[in-house]
Amino acid sequence: MTLKSEWEIVGAPVDPDTTERLFFTDAEWDTVEAATARIMPTDQDPGAREARVVVFIDRYLSGIDYVYAAADGSGFLKMSGKYADAWRARMDEMQNVYRHGLVRLDELAHSESGRRFADLSDAEADHLLELLSGAPKPGQVTLGTKEPVTTFLQGSFDEGLDFFSALCLHTRQGFYCDPVYGGNKEQMGWKFIGFPGPKSLKDTMDGTYSTAEYFYQGEFEWEDLIPQLKAYRDAGGTL
Amino acid sequence: MLNRKKPEPVDVIVVGLGANGGTAVKVLAEAGLKVVGFDRGPWLRPLEHYSGDELKFVNRDYMWPDPKMFPRTVRYDENAVAERFPFSPTPQMVGGGTNHWAGWVPRPRESDFMMRSLHGEIEGASLADWPFRYEHLEPYLTKVEWAFGVSGIAGADKYEPYRSKGYPSPPLRPTQYGKRFYDACNKMGINAFPIPHAMVTNKHNGRDPFNQTSFWNQYGDPSGARSNTLTSFIPEAVATGNLEVRAECFVQSVKLGHDGKATGVVYIDPDGNEVEQDARVVILTLGAIESARLMLMSKSPRFPDGLANGSGLVGKNATFHEYLFAVGLFDKDIDEPLNGFAGNYISGGSLEFYETDENRGHIGGSIISASQTCHPINWVFPGRPSWGEALKDADRNYYNYAMKIGLILHDLPVESNRVDLDPTVKDAFGRPVARITHSPHRNDIAMGKWQVDKNVEILEAAGARKTVPVYLDKMTGNTCHQHGTARMGTDPAKSVLNEWGQAHEVDNLFVLDGSGFPTATGVNPTLTMMANAWRCSEYIAQVYSKGREERLILSNTKR
Ligand SMILES: Cc1cc2nc3c(=O)[nH]c(=O)nc-3n(C[C@H](O)[C@H](O)[C@H](O)COP(=O)(O)OP(=O)(O)OC[C@H]3O[C@@H](n4cnc5c(N)ncnc54)[C@H](O)[C@@H]3O)c2cc1C
Repeated sequence: MTLKSEWEIVGAPVDPDTTERLFFTDAEWDTVEAATARIMPTDQDPGAREARVVVFIDRYLSGIDYVYAAADGSGFLKMSGKYADAWRARMDEMQNVYRHGLVRLDELAHSESGRRFADLSDAEADHLLELLSGAPKPGQVTLGTKEPVTTFLQGSFDEGLDFFSALCLHTRQGFYCDPVYGGNKEQMGWKFIGFPGPKSLKDTMDGTYSTAEYFYQGEFEWEDLIPQLKAYRDAGGTL
Repeated sequence: MLNRKKPEPVDVIVVGLGANGGTAVKVLAEAGLKVVGFDRGPWLRPLEHYSGDELKFVNRDYMWPDPKMFPRTVRYDENAVAERFPFSPTPQMVGGGTNHWAGWVPRPRESDFMMRSLHGEIEGASLADWPFRYEHLEPYLTKVEWAFGVSGIAGADKYEPYRSKGYPSPPLRPTQYGKRFYDACNKMGINAFPIPHAMVTNKHNGRDPFNQTSFWNQYGDPSGARSNTLTSFIPEAVATGNLEVRAECFVQSVKLGHDGKATGVVYIDPDGNEVEQDARVVILTLGAIESARLMLMSKSPRFPDGLANGSGLVGKNATFHEYLFAVGLFDKDIDEPLNGFAGNYISGGSLEFYETDENRGHIGGSIISASQTCHPINWVFPGRPSWGEALKDADRNYYNYAMKIGLILHDLPVESNRVDLDPTVKDAFGRPVARITHSPHRNDIAMGKWQVDKNVEILEAAGARKTVPVYLDKMTGNTCHQHGTARMGTDPAKSVLNEWGQAHEVDNLFVLDGSGFPTATGVNPTLTMMANAWRCSEYIAQVYSKGREERLILSNTKR
């Protein structure tokens, strides 16, 4: 078996403008595009539709060829052995989650309005997503409040997620990922949010990409920030 | 599976080449012992394999253990059925957790080594003193700081115990949110300072100063600026000619001879063959969960309940340091941006609330620090709307206007909080996985609440317009700090290891990771672990392997 350290780089970055479907049927593609456009909507700024989130999700679900970009973004890693087996099993499950979820979404659309999900108005689509998720559409964040929560887990692996949660997570991923994966076309997700992402993954490997200008820019002395330090040095402390 | 020809025996086997195994192989190989080091994960090349890809590193487990291959299960009480959950994962690869850690490396405090003497019997907890003291560890804390190239400022931490030497590199510039943190702390009379960081900010031991991409915690570092054992200690050990690394080799049991000594290990090589390797000394550094699991899997007529487990304590008293925090949101129209993605995870912290003050309603305390809120897909805002206009507005308005202050919960040991073997779930090699049973002690909940509320106060002093405190309800293992599963102590009935990490019952077996910690401490543990691994490895090289034995005599005085 090929060791993980020797995985080959194959393929090329995903073309965000492609209309070639690797996993979705035409109808599924339309539904996913419409649903992600309600999750990250378009307003004065681009949303999931413009960022080509549907391309990103289609590539991801197509198998294990688009899971890990090569470090420099020149293509994708070809997994082997137990690692590949585990990802194949996981993708099988996720493909099923999508296939069933999309059927259910169109069934809901039919029973509510007699149309396909992709043909609904924004308000109708939102209503269906509320039905699908079993919860009201999230309200705006309000300042001037304190809202405690209980234990929170960082990171967001998608294994075991239901269709709606997976769709929300994959939309955020497709909107904000490195463009090599097919989403975040022309870095529009990053620009909208104000994240100065790297031009290419390669730039993050050799020091070309720096965020130093986003550190505190003012002049300062450590002794001003840390009064203790002055006390320590005045008392003869060195080291 | 065919047995390959058995390899030549060596002096020492080290199982697990993470933070502690990396330290052990360096000390042992430099002392001239022949060592074979095993890791079940790959031996990657940072310059070639790492870059700032959020999806790959944070969402798709390129370095985290794949939960299908290496699952764990968790239950919150004895009677529940444990569910699969990636509890306390660290990268399973050469370098282990140091591949993508944040690198906070604060020193422990004198009180950490004597919780039992200071607090006596606490109901529901199993407090114990350590079999050594801060002063025994101090020289090794210094060795690790200097060998590793830690950055910091001596004298800036008002509460720091004695140190024999300063830091090899100066601290990082503060970030925007770091500056806010310093200002708020100064307003409140809190001693804030740059928490020592495992990264070089000067050229140090041939390593270049720092990586400014801000792809840090949870990412691999392609620059070599982050101190990790993959790019420093392990190559240094290999360079002696005395270490052979065997990557992608899963160690499944430790063998026991008729004389009650370990004879070596059995492992599965990358082609699936089962192979035996013999050695005079076996050292376990798999991380406290996996070390306990390997001991429990290594059954023999002499130890039917697991290797060196006559006391029944292997796996018990596990502590995990849940990371708790509060996030503050600011107003884009009025406030300066905070750029929460920038920096190297932490920027400014404090140990002001570390020592026991009974007025707070709990014993012990925790380190706190301001830190990154990270990258766009996963930025830290519990309560971030999941979809729709509210999601879009929240990202647009607050991504660069949020700040976080978090703490490392100093959780108390409880004997029933433990790691054992799951009765049904198996890993990719068909072996039973680690099952974690844990419910927090009353003191943990009270401490978590008090410390998080304090963080909220600091955020408010910094000008936050909305706060989201995260309180403890259960352990998720989100710090990936693991301790206690084979505690060190002087009494073989009440501990598994002695003060050198040596099993009381198996003379040539040493466990040199967090397993030995009798109590958790309230600081990030890895510096303490590595210093201890260094100290014990030096003992193995200079005393034990020369056929001698030494005991540490502790005068058990209260401070
Ligand atoms: C995201 C993140 C951030 C962190 N930040 C900090 C921080 O800022 N400060 C701090 O102090 N700590 C931090 N930690 C914790 C730190 O990584 C751990 O405390 C440390 O790595 C523990 O060292 P270890 O040697 O015990 O285990 P590890 O570093 O986990 O190494 C254990 C090794 O054993 C190998 N192994 C396991 N089982 C087997 C087997 N059966 N056969 C062969 N090999 C095996 C694994 O592959 C692994 O490489 C962080 C952890 C994470 C995940």
